[in-house]
Amino acid sequence: MTHQIELSAVNKYYGAYHALKDIDLSIPKGSFVALVGPSGCGKSTLLRSLAGLETISSGDLIIAGKRMNGVPPRKRDLAMVFQSYALYPHMTVEQNLTYSLKINGVGKAERKRAAADVAAITGLSNLLHRYPRELSGGQRQRVAMSRAIIRNPQAFLFDEPLSNLDAALRVHMRKEIRALHDRLGATSVYVTHDQVEAMTMADHVVVMRNGVIEQQGKPLDLYDRPSNRFVAGFIGSPAMNFIPARSTPDGRALVLDLAEPQTIEFDYPLPAGRALMVGIRPEHLVLAAADAAGFRVDVAAVETTGAVTFITTATTPEIVVALNGRSAVAAGESVRLTFAASNVHLFDAETEQRLA
Amino acid sequence: MKRLFSSITDGRGFDLVLVGVPFTFLLALSGLPLAYNILMSFQEVDMFSLGSVIRPFVGFKNYVDLLTQPETMSILRNTIVFVVGSITGQFLVGFALALFFWINFPGASWLRGLFLVSWVMPGLVVGAIWNWILSGDFGVLNFLLQQTGLLNGNIFWRSDPNFSLWAVILANIWLGTSFNMILLATGLAAIPADLYEAAEMDGANAWQRFWTITLPMMRSTIGAIIALGLIFTLQQFDLFAAITDGGPNNSSNVAQYWAWDLSFRQYDFGKGATISVIMTVFVMFAATVYVRSTRHEVRG
Repeated sequence: MTHQIELSAVNKYYGAYHALKDIDLSIPKGSFVALVGPSGCGKSTLLRSLAGLETISSGDLIIAGKRMNGVPPRKRDLAMVFQSYALYPHMTVEQNLTYSLKINGVGKAERKRAAADVAAITGLSNLLHRYPRELSGGQRQRVAMSRAIIRNPQAFLFDEPLSNLDAALRVHMRKEIRALHDRLGATSVYVTHDQVEAMTMADHVVVMRNGVIEQQGKPLDLYDRPSNRFVAGFIGSPAMNFIPARSTPDGRALVLDLAEPQTIEFDYPLPAGRALMVGIRPEHLVLAAADAAGFRVDVAAVETTGAVTFITTATTPEIVVALNGRSAVAAGESVRLTFAASNVHLFDAETEQRLA
Repeated sequence: MKRLFSSITDGRGFDLVLVGVPFTFLLALSGLPLAYNILMSFQEVDMFSLGSVIRPFVGFKNYVDLLTQPETMSILRNTIVFVVGSITGQFLVGFALALFFWINFPGASWLRGLFLVSWVMPGLVVGAIWNWILSGDFGVLNFLLQQTGLLNGNIFWRSDPNFSLWAVILANIWLGTSFNMILLATGLAAIPADLYEAAEMDGANAWQRFWTITLPMMRSTIGAIIALGLIFTLQQFDLFAAITDGGPNNSSNVAQYWAWDLSFRQYDFGKGATISVIMTVFVMFAATVYVRSTRHEVRG
């Protein structure tokens, strides 16, 4: 597999502030990569460094086989879709789309044809002579995408392109962007703070925090085997529950540090007698049968969407349970919870790294 | 009575009061003087009839007389040169400075503020300063031009008919540049930075970005600044009074100064009013351009 974009040991400093720390990332041709993390994690800086809008302080940045470290953005042949769309307000949709072609000296007739072709793909055909201010948010978003598509670039860079849209349109555009990506056989790098977007759209998810890549891999690998507590808590919605615990000396049971210590036994090889952080996703917690192993909690609140019922416990830390369908459990009751041993994520209490 | 009162506090009467107050103000302080000025341009007015409104009606005689006077054409030409020269100079230098400060080096905004000093100074003071600079025998300008080898002898800027008008233009450019700069800087700051980034990604170099993003986005600001420039330069009076007094031999005289000269030095109020009317037409034109350009702002 050829790599369209390769970053090795990339560092970026703003004065004394270390914004990107030893970033290694290889993006195969044709893949859809999502950079995700909380704000200030460096994902946008990384994208802008790819674009050339920021310069990297050290390391190598290779795009389509060429080292691009000091190359200005206009010579990198990358197209970017901005969060604000950054449409040229004084130009019609058609002029917006063909701006890059015009700059590169493409003739007028050819420009018109290219605009018509792209507009047909993105559904802008009857808006070509409108100005951006006359378009709705979703239409502007499409213009921004079309402006990138028309260039047939080495890669598409998306900087939180859906964050200005309402929830319904966001879900719709998510699919549309992914469909376009597949149809064009493009290479895309997509920055978002929304892990759902990252999980649903990308082939490869890169989770960042404080300028460091915490983990990267296929979306479900990140979900199934988060390599540390941060990734575990970041991927998945509602977020994973974390319960401080200690394994018994024989390694046959966990003592959960809830308001009162609760012991849960299961036949799973545990590191013996060790302080742990137990991670368990809300959807992996179930109500225990009367005679089964489990731990007792008091219910603080029950919320239901009809399809899913969320139970929040009165324990410290709070535990969220997501049950399929409806439940007869009511606030104030006491219930017993359990989980399959295979669904437990164990992290070192100190380092917060995953234990095998 | 009660209905009338309630109408005034909350109803149609209230609307009429809201419109009426500013309308009365405008009529009394702008409309009447303007109408009176137009009326005077069709009358024969001298020192003795100044106090009465009803004066001998002379039709277009003032206009015809003015147009046949030998100095009229050269004064109108001077006015055009003054307006075009001043606006061009103020705009170009102002835009260059605005772009320069746009780089946003440390202290840029502080330094830019200092430039406003020229604009807040009274015209007569500016005139006095430029009198020293332009002075033929010991002026700084002549000194600089000679030291740099551009000039051999002295130029008597204020008393040489070939240079007197340009002396005032030079001072006026200095006076108006900072105002141009501030307005243009505001216009530049209002252009979103991501447009430049998008254009950069689209392959545009700095020069192309200037022509395809900066200038079109500045269109309304530029329209406004040029219209305002026209209005301000046609109002410029102090510098003429301070630097050349319109001379020598009308070589630096312009319409607005001439109108004053006719009315208050030669006491030919009718002709002075006539010039004012002609200038009003031009200013109205500029004002229309200004209002239109601010209405056509392109943002977001």
